[in-house]
Amino acid sequence: MNSEVFETRVLPTKNKLFRFAFRLLGSSEEAKDVVQEVMMKVWNGREQMGAIDNMEAWCMRITKNLSLDRLRSKQRRTTDPMQEGFEVRQESMTPYEKTEIHESMQRVNELIEALPEKQRQVMHLRDIEGYSYNEICEILELDMSQVKVNLFRARNFVRERLVKLNAYGL
Amino acid sequence: MDSNEIKTLLEKYWNCETSLEEEKTLRTYFRSEVPQAMSETAELFRYFEQQQKVTVSGKDFDAEVKKKIKEHRPEGKSVKMYFNYGRIAAGVLVMVAAGYFVRLEVRKAYPPEMEDTFSDPRVALEETKKALMMISNSFNKAHKEAAKIEMFNEAEEKIKGKSVEEKKVNI
Repeated sequence: MNSEVFETRVLPTKNKLFRFAFRLLGSSEEAKDVVQEVMMKVWNGREQMGAIDNMEAWCMRITKNLSLDRLRSKQRRTTDPMQEGFEVRQESMTPYEKTEIHESMQRVNELIEALPEKQRQVMHLRDIEGYSYNEICEILELDMSQVKVNLFRARNFVRERLVKLNAYGL
Repeated sequence: MDSNEIKTLLEKYWNCETSLEEEKTLRTYFRSEVPQAMSETAELFRYFEQQQKVTVSGKDFDAEVKKKIKEHRPEGKSVKMYFNYGRIAAGVLVMVAAGYFVRLEVRKAYPPEMEDTFSDPRVALEETKKALMMISNSFNKAHKEAAKIEMFNEAEEKIKGKSVEEKKVNI
């Protein structure tokens, strides 16, 4: 892979990678860092990547792994009692981003954030990014039935909650 | 597309039986105004649409990545290989230097034995004889000189003898 191929095939995936990382991490700064890290990883490993046919899915997979690594190390950090008092709680979104999202959008966003991690990932990849089931399997390293079960649960959870919210105005 | 079709499509959607194409159709449908009964579903689909437009913040993201890539030349295989050889070479160099200094110290502590200076044994014998004679002469000379010490002895004896006679006289 030379830099031209990189710029035409890898770099344009940045927004998808960013959205996915943001969905997992909930912080745009960290998501951006992860995307950069993914780019560097792909570039440094470009010699071994000749055989990969779906570059985008591959990048998404690296994004997922790096994001989860970050989440895990963050969790480890927050369990440290010494740091609890000093660390300022990180807002998931800047005030600007918050006002940008419409109120109803905010509600749906909260619902999706409340989903278990796997369900959230599958729903994001399918309903927002429009990946095929096969690609989702590849990205998340899951088999087809797991992907479908997670998607089914996610969609129905969101549906139920939305109906309830509207019916009771909660 | 009428609302009945949408309803069946939605049912399929909730059961995860829709294709990507059909899901796209649903998204397009919910872009426009929909009946009140479907408003909450519209919310969800509009959210999906809106989320697709989220992009990386910062316009110079591409430039930043490109710059990083140019700067970050990962050490190639050959560089790594040379580096490893360099390490081995450095190790060998240290060993050789250490060996040299140890040898130097050992030489200082144990000076090498005298080397043979004559190749012909007869000449060597003559030389040795000469050397021994010289030593013998010196010894003899020294012995002669040492003989003078006898005088002291004799003198001492004489003095002792005299003193004994004197005592006898006093008694």
